[in-house]
This record gives sequence, C-alpha cells and structure tokens, in this order.
Amino acid sequence: MKNKVLFIVTAVVVFLLGLLASSIVNRKNEAKYKYVPQVEIGENEPRNAEWGKNYPAEYQSFLQTADTSFATYQGGSAMRDMLDEDTNLVVLWAGYGFSKDYSQGRGHMNAITDITNTLRTGGPKGEGDGPMPATCWTCKSPDVPRLMNEKGIAEFYSGKWADKGEEIVNPIGCADCHDSKTMKLAISRPALVEAFDAMGKDINQATHQEMRSLVCAQCHVEYYFDKKLPGKEGVPYLKFPWKNGMSVEAMEEYYDAIEFSDWTHKLSRAPMLKAQHPGYETYLTGVHADRGVSCADCHMPYKSEGGQKFTDHHIQSPLNNVSNACQVCHREDADKLKMNVYDRQRKTAENRLKLEGFLVKAHVEAKKAWDLGATEEQMKDILMDIRHAQWRWDYAAASHGASFHSPVETARVIGSGFTIIQDGRVKLARLLANLGYNQPVDMPDISTKEKAQEYIGLDMEALRKEKAEFKKNLVPKWLEAAKERESKYGIKDVSLNN
Amino acid sequence: MNIQNKLLPNKKSRWRTVAVFFIAVITGLGMFMTKEAELVSYMSDDPLACVNCHVMTPVYNSWMHSSHREWASCNDCHVPHNNIFNMYYFKAKDGLFHASVFTARAEPEVMFMRKESQEVVQNNCIRCHIQQVTQVKYDGYIKDHAKNRTERQCWSCHQEVPHGTVHGISTIKNNIAPLPTDTEEAVIPNWLEKEMKTK
Repeated sequence: MKNKVLFIVTAVVVFLLGLLASSIVNRKNEAKYKYVPQVEIGENEPRNAEWGKNYPAEYQSFLQTADTSFATYQGGSAMRDMLDEDTNLVVLWAGYGFSKDYSQGRGHMNAITDITNTLRTGGPKGEGDGPMPATCWTCKSPDVPRLMNEKGIAEFYSGKWADKGEEIVNPIGCADCHDSKTMKLAISRPALVEAFDAMGKDINQATHQEMRSLVCAQCHVEYYFDKKLPGKEGVPYLKFPWKNGMSVEAMEEYYDAIEFSDWTHKLSRAPMLKAQHPGYETYLTGVHADRGVSCADCHMPYKSEGGQKFTDHHIQSPLNNVSNACQVCHREDADKLKMNVYDRQRKTAENRLKLEGFLVKAHVEAKKAWDLGATEEQMKDILMDIRHAQWRWDYAAASHGASFHSPVETARVIGSGFTIIQDGRVKLARLLANLGYNQPVDMPDISTKEKAQEYIGLDMEALRKEKAEFKKNLVPKWLEAAKERESKYGIKDVSLNN
Repeated sequence: MNIQNKLLPNKKSRWRTVAVFFIAVITGLGMFMTKEAELVSYMSDDPLACVNCHVMTPVYNSWMHSSHREWASCNDCHVPHNNIFNMYYFKAKDGLFHASVFTARAEPEVMFMRKESQEVVQNNCIRCHIQQVTQVKYDGYIKDHAKNRTERQCWSCHQEVPHGTVHGISTIKNNIAPLPTDTEEAVIPNWLEKEMKTK
C-alpha cells in the first residue's frame, strides 16, 4: 500500500514538474513572438519601406532624416556649400574632386540623391565612364550588402561608379545595421571586419553597447582605396588604415609606409592624403566615449510616442533634441548646453582656420619654387611637410563632430599641424632665397569660390553641364531599371491562418 | 542512510528500482529546468539576468538608455546592501515571488514596488546620493527641505529616474532586448562571413 501511494504521489509530482517545465519554455518563447510581423523580411532586403511595415514607429522616425531644416554653428541637416563658406578649401584640394564641389552632408534619407547630384561624381554617359570607382557607393545604401552577396566583395568594388547606378537606389537604411531575422545590430560592411582583423581584434566579441557605435563606424571613419591588394590588383578595395592604431600619427605612419597618396596636389605637387571623416576614431578619444556613451545614445536617443517607447531613428544632431539626447545625463538648461558645444567648436575653428591659411600659403609658395626651377630633390622634404600638415588639418576638420566629441585631441592635432607647416615654410623660404627670390610670394585672390576655382584651373561651366546631362539622360534610366528589378522582389505577407 | 531507508522501499522489494528511477526522473527534470530557466544567471549581478523574463524588457531598456546605466545595475537599487546575507535573502525572496507571479500569468500591466521593495530602493538612493540628501545648507533656502528629504521618497519628485516617463509592460512594442541567451550569436552575418572567405 505504502509503495502504491508513493508511486502515485511521485507520478503527480513529475506531471506537475513537467507542466512547470513546459510553462518555462513557453514563456521564454513568448519573448521571441511578442510582436506579429506583417511581412517576412528577407536577408539583405534593401527596401526600407518593407522593414517599415513591421516596425512603423522606427520607420516613421527614420523618414524624418529627409528633413533639412535644422542648421547649427557648423553642422545640422541643412545643405551648406562649404567651398563657398570657406574658399581656402578650394586651394587645399586643388587637383582633387573635393575642389569641384563639397557640401555639408544631409540626413541618411538623402544619401543617394546627394551622391548623384554632387559634381564630384561627374557626368558619366554610361557604363565604364566617369571619374569615380564603384567603391564610392559602399556607404550609400542597403543595396550594397545585397549586391556584395550576389556578386562578391571585390567584384562589387570593381568597375566605375556608373556601372552600378541602376543597382543602388535605396538610401542608407535598415539593412545597413540590422539583422533581418532578429533585428539585432549586425555588421554589413566587410571593411570594418577586416580592419578589426588587421588590429588583431575580433569584432564578434563586441558588446551590445559597443555595437551601438560600431554600426556607425562602418562608414563614419577614415578610409582609403587599396589598389595593390595581392590577387586583386587594380581594384579599389576599401580599407581602413587602422593597423598601427587610430591616432593621427599612427595612420600617417601607415600611409607613409605603404607610400599611399590620394592625389598629387595641382599647385605644390605634394603627394596628398585626404582625411575622410574619422568621426569614430576621434570620438573614441573623447570624454563621452570614455564614460561609455555610444553614438546611438545621443544621435538616436530613446523616445516615447503614444505610450510606446522606442529608439528614435531620426539620426540627427543632438542639438535638435537636447532634452532626450543631453539632459538624460546633464541637468543644465538646453541653451546653456548648446552654448557649451558651440564654445568648443568656435575655439577649434579659430585655430583650424589659421592652419588653413598657412597651408594655402605653403601650396602657393611651393608652386613658386617649382616655377623658379626647384628640383625634385630640393622639394622632397618640403612636400612631405605639406602632406603631413594638411593631413593633420584634414583629420581635425573632416571629422566634423570632433571639435565637440574630443576638443582636446582635436586641438592637439591642429597644434601638431602648425609645427610641421612652420618647419616646411622655413625650408621653403630658404629654398626660394637660394633660387634668387627673397621676398614674400604673392597670394592669389581667392575671396570667392568662383575666383578660387578659376585660380586652380577648374572649368566649372563644363562640369555643371555634364552633370545636368547625366541627370537628364542616365539617371531616369537607372531609376526605371531599378523599379523593374524591384518589382520582381515581391512581398512575403505573414499569414496567421497557416 | 536513515532517511534513505525511510523514503525508499525495502532493498529487496521490486519497488526499489521503480522508486530510484522516479527519483532520477525528478532530479533530471529539475536539472532541465535549472538550465532552461537560466537559474545560475540569477546568482550574478548582471542586469541581463533580469531580462531572462520578458516582462522586464521595458524596464531593462529604459534603464539601458538612462544615465544610471553607467553606475548602477538592477541589483544596486533593487536589493539591499546592508549585509551579504540580507542581500541574498531578499533577492531570493523577491525573485521567487516574481517567478510565481510570472508562472501564474498574474503579472499586472503596470508594476509597482511593494512596501519592502520601496524601502530597499529608498535606502539605495541614499547609499549613493548621501551627500545630496544630507546637504544641510539647503535647509536654509529650500522650503521644507528637511521635512521633504526625511519624510518623502526620492521618486515622488524624481519620477523619471531611471525608467522614464512611460511605465507598463506593453510600452515596448517590439520587445527586443539583448537576451542573455543569444550572446553567442555573431555580429557578422553568415553571407558576409562566406563572401570574405572566398575573396
């Protein structure tokens, strides 16, 4: 009898334990099926609107990145003609695309429009034409991972910019940062993974908080096109120069060692480096990064709307959203906080502009030396000084937010630029004197963008004309072909009746 | 041995084998549940342990976006820190209560702290912010400062600290939190891994 009771009691206990176990498993799975998706999002789905069907709140806020109404002291979402605001830039970039046209970038939604409109991409007439390689598309669209998956990475980088025009139409969006199944943050661009490999780090070890900056670091970083990659010679393969570190000196050392230059300066003939936008690298040296704050914490803060909390996907200047972005930590007035930002930016700009002035003079003086018959040997050191000084200036200038993200490091970088350029100009003055020219070199009139562009020998009329023709003839064809292609993608509705 | 003899049937009885078998079944099920419920994670201080249970996702996410993220974990505020025994006792008591409510599907839409818990949190506010709350100079120019700081709770004014303005378990629609169970997932998608190898 005792045994029978024991048997029954045990069986009941096991049954109840089984129920509890099943409840645990069920409730754990609830987390995964908490929301009902409208459509099934395929791997590398490039159409942002498809993702938007499942995540309307995030998508609606993302659409706001199209807005161009907010301007700050040196940024914001408004389009600003930087060459017009600062004509020195035209001379500094003589012989390089940026001297043709350089505007303050707008929000992510405008990425495709802006790269199509800029004079830098020229006016290609069809496949194989135009000044820029296909690599220039890399950061512009979620069509890029799709295409890399279809064609291969090196194949994507091969060819001209115009070759892939009809393939890339969706502006920077969902698939650039998210996994389509789990919505977790994911890396979609190989260059960042390869840069981590080069530094001996494994990006898979990144925490969620680090990922909230690393997805941005896929693009907002210094990069170059490596055309000497073994086995891929001639392909402008996108790389980050991080092997020795991310400081201005470490990257300079890297570039010098591989004798890389972005272009040869038209006036001074110096082998120049163009700093792209080392936003991530400079952010890492700042106090916010030191305190564990990620890009998303300020540029995509938490938002509540209609009783729902979500991450604001209107990626923008935090100065347009001080309460959610800054005041979560800082209790000061919004106006006070803005003033603190502008103070840092103004003070940095003050020295940056002075350094710019010296660089312009150095280029013009170097040109004079060439005109007076200087030899390669005599110019070699001077040109390296110009290269290094302008690289430092550009590292500080092109990182846009750096004067706020990391004002001390930025000031240090600009300061080191001054030391180098003054060294270079002393050498130049001696050389000019040796060549029989012992007086100040006349500076050109670059008071307006037009005058500066004329001085460096740009035919702006022709550039504008070819761009207009390209927009009239080729762009509509691209869009039509893309529409035709995407119409075949279809929509995978999720039916609850299955 | 005594207990074993009392509990188990006589060694020679055929029930002995059956009983041993069932005890093993119970032990096995127990181990399965320990694993499935991530029981070990609750011994840690890691806030991710709290989102094992998805009703905690809204509070986890709001904390994750707050300035307290850098300094205070869930345990820093929600369990007592006066001594280590009380800490684990309270944590176990609170945790088992939560687990029972959750298993019974009795969780309310908006959760409020129970009285014991309020006391713990209030003490923890003071534990870190002691200098602010004992600043006597405020008594001179803030009306009722002494009364307010001794008789009221911090969050009767600081309502948004640190979980934000909107409370409730359905305030996060897509309910996505970094689950501790998928930390092994790579951030490089499979297609990219494959493409990078074939280059």
